[in-house]
Amino acid sequence: MTDPILALKDVTVLFGGVRAVSNVNLSLQKGELIGLIGPNGAGKTTIFNLITGSVRPASGEILYKGGPIAGKSPDRLCHLGISRTFQNIRLFPQMSVFENIALGLHSQPGYSVLEAFVRTPRASRAEKAVKNRVDELLAVVSLQPYIHQRAGNLPYGLQRRLELARAMATSPDLLLLDEPAAGMNEDECAELVEMVNRIHMEMRYSIILIEHHMNVVMELCRNSRIYVLNLGEVLACGLPGEIQNDPRVLAAYLGVRKSRNAVQ
Amino acid sequence: MGYINTIIILGGISVVAALGVAILTGYTGLFTFGHSGFMALGAYMAAFSYMQWHIPFGIALLLGGIFAGACSLIIGYPTFRSNLTGDYFAIATYGFAEAIRLILNNLYGVTGGAYGFTGIPSLTNLPITLVVVAIALFGAHRFVTSQYGKNCVAVSQDAVAAQMMGVNILKTKLISLFISAFYAGVAGALFGFYMAYLSPSMFTLSRSSDLLAAVVFGGMQSLIGPVLAAFILVAVPELLRFFTEWRLIVYGALFVITMIFRPQGLLGYTEMNFAFLRNWYQKLLKKTGPEALAGTPREG
Amino acid sequence: MTLFLQQVVSGISIGAVYSLLAVGYALVYSVYNFTNWAFDAFMVTGAFAGFFAISVFHLPFWAAVAFSIGMTVALSVLIETGAYRPLRMRNAPRLFMMISAMGANIAIINTINLVFGGAFREFPEITAGTFTVGGVSIGKMDLIAGIFSFVVLGLLWFFLQRTKAGLGIRASSLDMVTAGIMGINNNTVAFMIFGITGILSAVSGIFYGVKYAVFPALGVVTTKAMIASIIGGLGSLPGAVVGSLLLGILETLISGYVSSVYRDLFSFTVLIIILLFLPNGLMGARNEEKL
Repeated sequence: MTDPILALKDVTVLFGGVRAVSNVNLSLQKGELIGLIGPNGAGKTTIFNLITGSVRPASGEILYKGGPIAGKSPDRLCHLGISRTFQNIRLFPQMSVFENIALGLHSQPGYSVLEAFVRTPRASRAEKAVKNRVDELLAVVSLQPYIHQRAGNLPYGLQRRLELARAMATSPDLLLLDEPAAGMNEDECAELVEMVNRIHMEMRYSIILIEHHMNVVMELCRNSRIYVLNLGEVLACGLPGEIQNDPRVLAAYLGVRKSRNAVQ
Repeated sequence: MGYINTIIILGGISVVAALGVAILTGYTGLFTFGHSGFMALGAYMAAFSYMQWHIPFGIALLLGGIFAGACSLIIGYPTFRSNLTGDYFAIATYGFAEAIRLILNNLYGVTGGAYGFTGIPSLTNLPITLVVVAIALFGAHRFVTSQYGKNCVAVSQDAVAAQMMGVNILKTKLISLFISAFYAGVAGALFGFYMAYLSPSMFTLSRSSDLLAAVVFGGMQSLIGPVLAAFILVAVPELLRFFTEWRLIVYGALFVITMIFRPQGLLGYTEMNFAFLRNWYQKLLKKTGPEALAGTPREG
Repeated sequence: MTLFLQQVVSGISIGAVYSLLAVGYALVYSVYNFTNWAFDAFMVTGAFAGFFAISVFHLPFWAAVAFSIGMTVALSVLIETGAYRPLRMRNAPRLFMMISAMGANIAIINTINLVFGGAFREFPEITAGTFTVGGVSIGKMDLIAGIFSFVVLGLLWFFLQRTKAGLGIRASSLDMVTAGIMGINNNTVAFMIFGITGILSAVSGIFYGVKYAVFPALGVVTTKAMIASIIGGLGSLPGAVVGSLLLGILETLISGYVSSVYRDLFSFTVLIIILLFLPNGLMGARNEEKL
């Protein structure tokens, strides 16, 4: 078994006296798409924040591509290949769709400050490359018609797609999706599932998915593992079928609507 | 006419300084009330290097700017690090500008302390001012439309999200600060060589108020707005002398009113390009033609 | 040695006045995460109100203080209602709130400047003479100012820690939204906080005016107080006091032993050093941009 692309070893996060994350072990193989579910407050987003460098672990190790990353700044981690979407969309509402995506491409500018003042051929080429890549990404999420619209004006569902495109703009190896289906109806969920699957296949990202929509999780993680978190601890980890029948998980979380959500 | 000359030159100098504040406050979202200090540093350094070290005029201007820029990093680095809130930077710049003014007041010797720095030749004239303004405007436009400028805007709108997308917040802010202080320094230097005299009392908080006013009224995330506003805010008090005494009271009240009713200012978010012409043309087509074009095209 | 003690005592007296300002600033910051730039204007208003109460209306000193407090509190609440609250209610970005605050500040100070002129005015003598203990002397007025400042701070501490209203304020400083949900009236809290701000500005304005002079540019000392607050730990009230006393003492020592010219540069340097090594200040208040 090759080294996992991401490994959390016995990680604990303390906020004051509260153990938001408690001795969590998690690993992800390159190219895998795994799910992370649990009730609100279970610590799922905190784990994302850990991986992206916004939060430091009180104890434990976080290994990415074999190397420790705890304490590195979020922008550094982005350049190492970690990218994410947010639970509450964090787009740049005043900027256009184009500019939002482009940011992921030029967050580390492709030329020096002085070159910015004098537009050298290199600077022009860099700008052109950005434009081309943004066009490609727009095509992936089917947002081309909206290219110059203000991001804040887009309907909610399209904003989610834009966030996805922006996260991909940084050419990540590890993509963290934080409740991408939040607020979506059944049709939109189906579209989202199709899009994430397609992106996963084509771009070969390693993906961790936090989601509350059970259909979405079970569908995307059909052949892959799901971690169940509760009160900061990993309750169970396994294939959808396994965790759906795990009594501890049922007791803590899945409960009543089993017949509607069970995977056959 | 000499009088018009004066207004244009003083207006031009104000425009250059206001461009600096526009980059820092309008585009990067950092409140500064200390740019009078950077103007003072640039002015004194330029005059001093010209008079004492016989540095050529043009180079002296640049030297003034660079000196101001370098000093700005002393404030910027500690206050931008550790992701501290913008208040730290604001307080530090405010305190810094006052400290600089008081030091210059007491630095007798070549710079003359409170009596002022006299004997500076009046080298700034209309052509030179216009050239400097043109270069400054060109450079500022290049910067804000570049990837660096876009990063500044992202940091001002949502620094955390920008950081997640790979933007180095500290570096972005420091670059923006250096450039804005450089501009203020050059403007100060031009001012010194125009007035042929420098005194710390020329660089008071009211000057910082004027610069901030240019950006607040002219508009956030805009260059053309602050440029026009800076010029008008110089011309009007010159032409309407009685207004000079009242102007800061009016500005202060207008700051509050602007923030409540129209925080983007008059020409906020208006880039200096001809996209607005394209907008009108397309809106015209939309009204008269069957095409359904989406939204308001705006290009970076 | 006596000279050193003398400096320290002098410094404490200056620090005491700084601390009134620093606490006022820190209180607003801790609850609203906002810098009250108009604080400068409030202090000047307090000084002028007190001055006119004594020299024009011929009120006795403590009545003048009360009058000044009344005027300043009224102004403070007015600015809060007109310039701050509308923006806070719609979650305006920090930058916009600072611009509005600075606008209020500029407008008020320049109005005072225009109406009263920039001339320095002297308070008529309140009380003269010095106390001398063991070779260390302190002006009577300085002593009164120092004691009064500590009394005011003590009352404030009592109010915040031991009364229900104070509890409401402390809860708001931790989490305003939740405090509101728990039944604390945010408007009342705002009135109280800006009322306290008014009191602190008035008292410090008068004492500062008595010690030096009354003039429109008097209020720049509030910047010093803001720096003191950062040094102690922005948002922490004990930190504001500690930072102020420390700054007052250090400044006086530098003035005495080195040169008074560089006094302001000195406090600025201390600020930079603290930010480089202890960004959360001496008392360690956390102040990063909220994620």
